[in-house]
Amino acid sequence: MGTIVTIDLYGDAHLDKSDLSRRVDAAEGIVREADEVFSTWKSHSPLSRLRRGELTLGEVPADVLDVLELCRTARLLSRGWFDPWSMPGGVDPTGLVKGWAAQRALDPLRELGLSGALVNAAGDVASFGGPAPGESFRIGVVRPSNTKRLACVVKSPGAVATSGTYERGNHLVNPFTGMACATASATVTGPDLGLADALATALALCGPSGLEFVNALASYEGLIIDASDVSYASDRFPMTELFLTSRAA
Amino acid sequence: MRRTGLVLTGAVVGLVGLLGYRAVTPSLPAFVVSANAPSSSTTAPPHNSTTAAAPPPPTTSGTPPPHNSTTTTVAPPSPTTTTTSAAPSASRSATGEAVNYIYGVLSVHVTATGSTISSVMIGSIDDGGNYQSQSIDQMAIPQLEQEALSLQSANIQGISGASYTSAGFRQSLQSALTKLGL
Repeated sequence: MGTIVTIDLYGDAHLDKSDLSRRVDAAEGIVREADEVFSTWKSHSPLSRLRRGELTLGEVPADVLDVLELCRTARLLSRGWFDPWSMPGGVDPTGLVKGWAAQRALDPLRELGLSGALVNAAGDVASFGGPAPGESFRIGVVRPSNTKRLACVVKSPGAVATSGTYERGNHLVNPFTGMACATASATVTGPDLGLADALATALALCGPSGLEFVNALASYEGLIIDASDVSYASDRFPMTELFLTSRAA
Repeated sequence: MRRTGLVLTGAVVGLVGLLGYRAVTPSLPAFVVSANAPSSSTTAPPHNSTTAAAPPPPTTSGTPPPHNSTTTTVAPPSPTTTTTSAAPSASRSATGEAVNYIYGVLSVHVTATGSTISSVMIGSIDDGGNYQSQSIDQMAIPQLEQEALSLQSANIQGISGASYTSAGFRQSLQSALTKLGL
């Protein structure tokens, strides 16, 4: 996935460190396994082999089917703006896998008595709990015009994903035109980072009008920041501080 | 259209490289970075034993570690440590241990006044000088420096967006903070 993943645990210092360490290893294993299965840059990954037609859907690991199912859901919910089947070179769920894997990496960390845990996959953040019991994690969203500054702070409902053209050059493809284009930055919050990741990609492509499909979803919210640092938020976006100008979508 | 696919290639090449781990006591102040109790900070052990067989030399070479390695090998403490203990309100600084990261070796230099971090910088970095690692460093390092400050000033626990959150950076940062008693 070409990315760096960090795992932060929050809890009482008296928790058993060796047990926590084993659980972190398990979480790490989930992320590594996802990379092995879904890497489009490892020619022998099951996904690469599926893309080349060397494997059929009946022969790939169950995780591939799960991810493709989530992709179909995301395509439907985003009204076609997230579409891994429109990517050059065959189906490419890369826009969702990172979030999906980070979300799953939380599982071994639950029920350990932690107040919270946070998995940050290069800026897509999955979490449960908070820095202290009863608190929510606060996640800063980077300003696309100046990545050294924050655009806003959100109270995480579990998943905060940001897509945009600024981080690694323009890498988003409009599924309707095949052209590379995007709003500067789109952030989606919700309960699941896989879906949030896909919806953020869709929103970055669609622009402010995409907030309509986000508003139609009960538990997901969206924020768009354009190249002029103007922000557009969905109805209940969980922002605690905004450092930009906002405008109605 | 094809071009975009290639851009994606550049973005996705690499790996899930680093997994950091820390535990924070909830009773400590809200400044997360500086609240890391040294005794509660642990680094995940290497993922598998094969990586331990050929760790990159920590300071003599910038050769990027092999792709499958978990770069949590800890180099000896940096000789550039410049801890100056003084009155609590005085400005003081420390350089964290040199730590292997995905593209080489780095250390983090922290300056603090009282209990507040005033600057976070790269103390030393050897990324092997190849084009890819340099371009990534140019993008990532300023961001990591900023992240450390943002985490403190905004009372946030994470950053969403263009963020290369490097465990190596954090590890060296942590050791610098420990030296400063933060």
